[in-house]
Amino acid sequence: MAQSELLIKQPAVYSSLSEEYAALTKGFGLVDRSHLGRLRVTGADALDLLDRLSTNKLQDMQIGELEGTVLTTNKGRIIDLLFVVRQDDHLLVITGPQTRQRVADWIEFYTFIEDVEVQDITESTAMLSVAGRKATDAFPQLSDLPLSDAVRITICGVDVLALHTEMAGIVGYDFIVPIAEASSLREALVDAGAVPVGTHAAELVRIGYGVAEYGGELHEDYNPLEAGLKDYISFNKGCYIGQEVVARLNTYDKVQKHLMCLSLESGDDMVLPSPLMQEGRQVGTLTSAVESLDGERFDGLGYVRKAHAQEGTRLTTESGIEVVVVSFPC
Amino acid sequence: MARVRPEPLTITITEGAAKHVRQFAADMGKPDGNLRVAVKGGGCSGLTYDLDLVDTPGENDKVISSHGLELYVDKKSYIFLAGTELDYSGGLNGKGFVFNNPNAKTACGCGTSFSV
Repeated sequence: MAQSELLIKQPAVYSSLSEEYAALTKGFGLVDRSHLGRLRVTGADALDLLDRLSTNKLQDMQIGELEGTVLTTNKGRIIDLLFVVRQDDHLLVITGPQTRQRVADWIEFYTFIEDVEVQDITESTAMLSVAGRKATDAFPQLSDLPLSDAVRITICGVDVLALHTEMAGIVGYDFIVPIAEASSLREALVDAGAVPVGTHAAELVRIGYGVAEYGGELHEDYNPLEAGLKDYISFNKGCYIGQEVVARLNTYDKVQKHLMCLSLESGDDMVLPSPLMQEGRQVGTLTSAVESLDGERFDGLGYVRKAHAQEGTRLTTESGIEVVVVSFPC
Repeated sequence: MARVRPEPLTITITEGAAKHVRQFAADMGKPDGNLRVAVKGGGCSGLTYDLDLVDTPGENDKVISSHGLELYVDKKSYIFLAGTELDYSGGLNGKGFVFNNPNAKTACGCGTSFSV
């Protein structure tokens, strides 16, 4: 099955929105994240080059380790948030949903005499993720795998690369397999008790927990500090593209806006991104929104200027929808 | 009237810089070494300069002879370095090797990286 067919088959809801949401947060949910890009980067200089191009310290990564890092422009703006897994003979780089070509081109542009090669393996692989409080109990064979580490294991006869990950406090595993094995792995995960989760519940969790994603929150209009990506920045690793700007913003506390969780009274006529207004002035931008679990309002994410980034602040979209600032992301 | 073709942009090294390269090569025990000049991705502005002492050029390198020294430049780096003069700024307040690169539009605060 081609990856594009796999993606088309992802419904907004499989069975019940509330059950799927509960599975992801309290139980054991299964999310198809094959739409994220996957690049196989080989060559003796691959790690060194990525270290020079992005915000986190990658030089010391050991085989089997996973690190998040942000690719930034020389003005410190976000190109993409990457997750890098160091394997025996290559790096697996997980990109945003629509950025794999941009990231591959960026790496290629900055490859001069280095030994680095990028291969896009997105279409030939799938990425199935399980998350929720009970997700780790379902895989006793992975109980020794530390958070942010990766290992090759076999699940019901399928050879997978398993990543132990955490998203806003929700722990789980990402499994990467050749596309031909995706259906078998999916069946095995469902047999193990994973509840298939559609795009609505997955988006509710992402937005509710304030996880920035490419397209909405992550692009060149924003810098990694505004997007709440401080955990993926090393402030003592030395130079990387954009470091001077990012370091200055942090040192002199010059971050002008913050990514905030928002609550919207409705989603009628909503266009994203949408300016967020107060007394006729734009003080923010709504970047993501999804109908809430009870169906009575919308949960949102957006950038709000520092002076207004406080719980309870009331704003409106340009079309007049009332928006309340809920909190900083979890 | 015959048209005068402009000289192709090349990379040059000043006599002072060449002298310092020779001195450095001798100190390193490589008196016959030559200079690889390259651009690397990285640094705050996106691109940094890289100098290395080597014995022979790479397969597709451009070779430029100047002041008794050979400069080896790979083709991709050459695009970003064409027209550059490599100088040496000595003395207590000197900066060491300095790239006067007409392609560099911006530089970072410490001057070690540039963008085009």
